[in-house]
Amino acid sequence: MPALASFTLRRLARGLVTVWFAVTVTFLLLRLLPGDPALAIASPTMTEETRAAVLERYGLADPLLVQYGRYLLALVQGDLGTSFTQGQPVSAVLLERLPWTLLLTGAALVVTVLVGIPLGVLAAARAGGGLDRLVQGLGVTGQSLFVPSVGVLLLYVLGLQLGWFPIGGAYDRGVYGGEWYLIVLHHLALPALSLALVQLGAYVITLRSTLIEALGEDYCALARAGGIPYRRVLWKHALRNALLPTTTLVGLQLGFLVGGAVLTETVYAYPGVGRGIYEAVTQLDFPVLQGAFVLLAVTVVVANLLTDLVYGLLDPRVRT
Amino acid sequence: MAAPTRPSAQQPADPSVGPPSGPTVEAVPGAQAVAVPGAPAEVEQVAAGGSAARDTWRAFRRQPLGVLSLGVLGVLVAVAVLAPLLADYPSGTGSSVLAPPSAQHWFGTDNLGRDVFAQVVWGSRSSLLVAAGASALAIVLGTAVAVAGAWWPRLDALVGLVVDLVLSLPVLPLMILVAALVGPSTTTIVLVIAAFSWPEVTRVVRSLALTVVRLPYMDAARLLTPSATWIITRHLLPAVTPVVVVSVVLTASRAVLSAAGLAFLGLGDPRSWSWGRVLFEAQQAGAMSSAWWLTLFPSLAILALVLAATLASIAFNDARDPRSRVRR
Repeated sequence: MPALASFTLRRLARGLVTVWFAVTVTFLLLRLLPGDPALAIASPTMTEETRAAVLERYGLADPLLVQYGRYLLALVQGDLGTSFTQGQPVSAVLLERLPWTLLLTGAALVVTVLVGIPLGVLAAARAGGGLDRLVQGLGVTGQSLFVPSVGVLLLYVLGLQLGWFPIGGAYDRGVYGGEWYLIVLHHLALPALSLALVQLGAYVITLRSTLIEALGEDYCALARAGGIPYRRVLWKHALRNALLPTTTLVGLQLGFLVGGAVLTETVYAYPGVGRGIYEAVTQLDFPVLQGAFVLLAVTVVVANLLTDLVYGLLDPRVRT
Repeated sequence: MAAPTRPSAQQPADPSVGPPSGPTVEAVPGAQAVAVPGAPAEVEQVAAGGSAARDTWRAFRRQPLGVLSLGVLGVLVAVAVLAPLLADYPSGTGSSVLAPPSAQHWFGTDNLGRDVFAQVVWGSRSSLLVAAGASALAIVLGTAVAVAGAWWPRLDALVGLVVDLVLSLPVLPLMILVAALVGPSTTTIVLVIAAFSWPEVTRVVRSLALTVVRLPYMDAARLLTPSATWIITRHLLPAVTPVVVVSVVLTASRAVLSAAGLAFLGLGDPRSWSWGRVLFEAQQAGAMSSAWWLTLFPSLAILALVLAATLASIAFNDARDPRSRVRR
């Protein structure tokens, strides 16, 4: 399959370029923005000599290009610097948190797709009808929601007033075995739901419009003329083809999803990378902020790459 | 003289934006084709553009949701402008701490006894300011880049690449990094949001601009004048204007959300009130879940602004599309 191989290679190259871009932007921001790079490494209360020593020690006195090369080399080896509030390598601090963020965003995506597909199909089936208008209205409203607002609302009503869900964290201490997984799911429900509610609008609206477009195409008319029931044409023929642009949109929105995860984790004190960012902001821990961005960028690129590759396998149209 | 093109044959390049406006594309170059580089062109153009705008406005007024959302936006702007008349600037401490909404404090008070109504009213100023400032900057930059790329194809490859790259990155963590490095202030926030919002504008404007430069009337314009500036400002920019208008509104509403997100994480301007800051302080005080009024009212303000902006832009999009006008 040379077409598939070259498609895979091209996507891989594209992912690498994106990561390189993210890393280079971060480097340039840190070096070129107003602000003393030495401040980003050690405390602001330093004498002139210590400052010079710090600059020397971290190689900040070298030419920019040399620094850039060293920075790239360190990154390739997985070295993101040292957190100066925790004294640990940034990569260790963040990698410990990454699984929680992946769990949260993954769960939110699953909820979005599971709720979004039926809603989109039902709306497109009777375009212009009452249900369609309702779904469109909800979609537009969903796109206008502020993530922390939704988070606090759910937390207040379902967590605090009704007491159905825990109000923060990701697990309880002292629980092991199979029960631990249930506890984790229980803690995951509200954050994942908040994030999914914010994502859902764009997903449903896109799915609806691509479905309506697909239903108007010749192959759907042919299927209908051949006596295949409308419902089957809708769910089998049109939906399959409409899912591709919708999935592409999800890929495009992964960056927004990650941004939403940062805010959601902050509301729910969820121990992911986003909550780490919030804590790093309050302590002005720049290496952690930088590392978090690089790590999240890589995550988004890898997720996009995987989606693209799976779609390349499933759908030959993508490989062009 | 070049005949005006029929835009009906033109395919919309970006489904999310909708088809380019028939009358605007047609009327403006039409007027232009009658009188190229002379002064009367301006008169013609204004007349033609004016009637297209009138048609759009007439169609817009027939959409209750559009009118309502425009009204909501008007009220929010009025609140921001008249803030000093509506409430005293929230500062210091008050006697009643964390009091629920009452006749005295409409939106209740926070953990320092400050009036939440006053915070929301004064917060509308910085929220609207950031929205207007960031979207204005992003629009100017984004449109300039898109139009330049469409005109000079060599540049376009680079523009397309950069836009794709920036859009595939998680922008909020990047904004957080920059805002934390530079130090939070309203100016920083406006600049940071604008710096990472223009690619979205470019993406939307570029897809239309690329179709417009290929239309026959652009070739005709090239035959009539060697001046790229003239063609870009007189033909290309007017053709993409409707999309730019929609972009302004959408970029502004996204800027509101970004600014609120940054403020919620503690990166808002500590010297001025914003809706995000009210939420941030509630979170810091640990009062977020117990005192519902602390989060409800700023949240409603954000929702009202963003939703009204989105609905207004949808209504405008429908109104300027002659095809949906006919159907009505």
